[in-house]
Amino acid sequence: MDKMELFEGLRDAMVSLEKEKVLSYTEKALEMDLEPLEVIDHGLLPGLTEIGKQFENEEVFLPELMLSAMVFQNAMAILQPRIKAQGTKSRKKGTVVIGTVKGDMHYIGKNIVRLLLEISGFEVHDLGVDVDPLKFVQKARDVQADIIALSALLTTTLVGQRDVIEALEGQGVRDRFKVMVGGGAVTKKWSEDIKADGYAETAYAAVEMAASFVQG
Amino acid sequence: MIDLIEVFDRADQGPLISDTDYYMGRFVPKLAEVIARYRIKWDKNTIVNTDDDLADRVFQAAIDLLAEAGAYCSDSNRVMEFSRDEVLRAVEQAPKFARFGEGREAKTMYGRAVDDPSRPWIHIGGGIYTTDEQIYLDTVEGMAAISIADSLSVPSILHLRGKDARVRSPQELLTAIKTVILAREGIRRSGRAGLPIINGISAASNAVSMIAAAAPHFGLRITDGFLVDFLSEMIVNYEALQKVAYFSSISANIGSTSTPLFGGYAGGAEGVAVLAACYLIMGSLIYRGSYHYNAPLHLSLHLSSTKPLLWAIGMSNQANARNMRYPTVNLPYLGGGAGSKMVHYEMAAYMLAVVPAGGNIFSGHPAKSVEPDSLLPWDHQFHAEIGLAAAKYPRKEAEPLAQEFYKKYEGMIKSPEAGFRYAQVYDLKTKKIINSDYLRIQDEVREEFRGMGFEILPS
Repeated sequence: MDKMELFEGLRDAMVSLEKEKVLSYTEKALEMDLEPLEVIDHGLLPGLTEIGKQFENEEVFLPELMLSAMVFQNAMAILQPRIKAQGTKSRKKGTVVIGTVKGDMHYIGKNIVRLLLEISGFEVHDLGVDVDPLKFVQKARDVQADIIALSALLTTTLVGQRDVIEALEGQGVRDRFKVMVGGGAVTKKWSEDIKADGYAETAYAAVEMAASFVQG
Repeated sequence: MIDLIEVFDRADQGPLISDTDYYMGRFVPKLAEVIARYRIKWDKNTIVNTDDDLADRVFQAAIDLLAEAGAYCSDSNRVMEFSRDEVLRAVEQAPKFARFGEGREAKTMYGRAVDDPSRPWIHIGGGIYTTDEQIYLDTVEGMAAISIADSLSVPSILHLRGKDARVRSPQELLTAIKTVILAREGIRRSGRAGLPIINGISAASNAVSMIAAAAPHFGLRITDGFLVDFLSEMIVNYEALQKVAYFSSISANIGSTSTPLFGGYAGGAEGVAVLAACYLIMGSLIYRGSYHYNAPLHLSLHLSSTKPLLWAIGMSNQANARNMRYPTVNLPYLGGGAGSKMVHYEMAAYMLAVVPAGGNIFSGHPAKSVEPDSLLPWDHQFHAEIGLAAAKYPRKEAEPLAQEFYKKYEGMIKSPEAGFRYAQVYDLKTKKIINSDYLRIQDEVREEFRGMGFEILPS
């Protein structure tokens, strides 16, 4: 098997969510002394991108997305020691802190955005649901995030998104982070009213927006 | 059926696992398994199912799903497990009717059969928020004045003295009380003081606010209906169980509520159909509901009028109608704005999918439920009339019509037509409709429906 055949096999195994095959191809790549970052870029990520597209087209759904992220993490666990030994840093598109704002217990939409960001190459820190505004700010500072992503499903919890922006302004760090908002009750007008940097109506749009933020 | 304390205990005694383990280890694989076990498959050309055996298999799959995956309590991180016998007993003992309202407005909502020509229950309104107290009162009065209405969903007010009422804040509790007082007053002004409100309580997001605003001082009664929701998917929390504990203690009508998400953990049409039917059983078993709000929704489009969802919603009603008869209203989340042609087309397809399937009528939410002041009484009367027209069709005849209506809005689903707000349509002093464009659109649609052989009789 040559390099290109391996990448193709890895990509196809990722798309068909065959965990054992993905792990086997990943191990084989290391045996062949391939660069781990090349394995990620040409094998794993194209597979994940295809799954992301299938999700957008309603060909696969949240369970498949979750499974793909799990398989990806398992493959990365095989590659990481080699990456570390080589002293190279794994490339990431950017760092995102995500959560559902204070008072809101809904998480499915937020989880989907998290998964799509992860499989698109972002490092994502998920704070969960019902998150205090100051916790978003603290975490974003701690991990030197590029983006803060705020979810709110209910009209009554929208104000939690404004609170985070207010907290960023209060601490004088508003300019350090891009803030994107989404969720069932969020509208473009609301995002403009609270001076968020962006509003995404769908999970896929959120990922595209995040990518545009880090590309400058 | 197992008693309520035992149900609460299950939330504290089941296996302790993370929510991710629950989904990936139990719910998702079990749902896939029961779909395969009962050979459940959506024919992608269909909106209205006419295969009774398939509807029965969906119901069996729903029973198995609950018995084999259980529900998940997010406060205790435990799986609420129920044996197959316990689930079957809950099915057998589920209520077949619910009594609402007072005096001459007192009526009974029934769980209907498929292809049932009897008049469905007509539930009018929605929980969409209003920006102004006068508009709120006028909207409720206008809705209550619809003579064919059997019950109301009243909108929300989320502001107190012009400021936002935050979740769990004292202001939220006060806005919940204000909502109830204004709703009851609006209904009284219509001359139908006994008309039940069955979306208690739209402005209360938490148990404390809901229980406070339900106090009889403010006008709600046990013959109204109080909603307790399952979080998507299969999540039961202490807040919900507290509401159940309270409302069952005062013998009030509890409306179990579920919003299975298309594209979420349930996957596509087949998963949503099974899950929606499963929630109906859970409503009887876990929440001791008298009735159910069935509100499947598309995860990213935030509406329920796509073709696979119409099939899944109708299918869950058929499964219920043929096997349990738990009284159910179906909440349409529609993309088109209030008064738009699109919203009327969507409603026609929706009613044809759910009413011949054994569901009751709910006039529903336009504009994906996010446009304030978009509950227009004249729309809701029309939509109730559409529901009554749909009740005359057996499923086989409903299917081709539903397809025709679906074609009319299919191309607009991703960018729905905008509509009107209350103040753009009604004179705020006289409460008369003053917008000729609005009236013209509805007249044209009525005429168009008639031309298609779907005559909507004015009530």
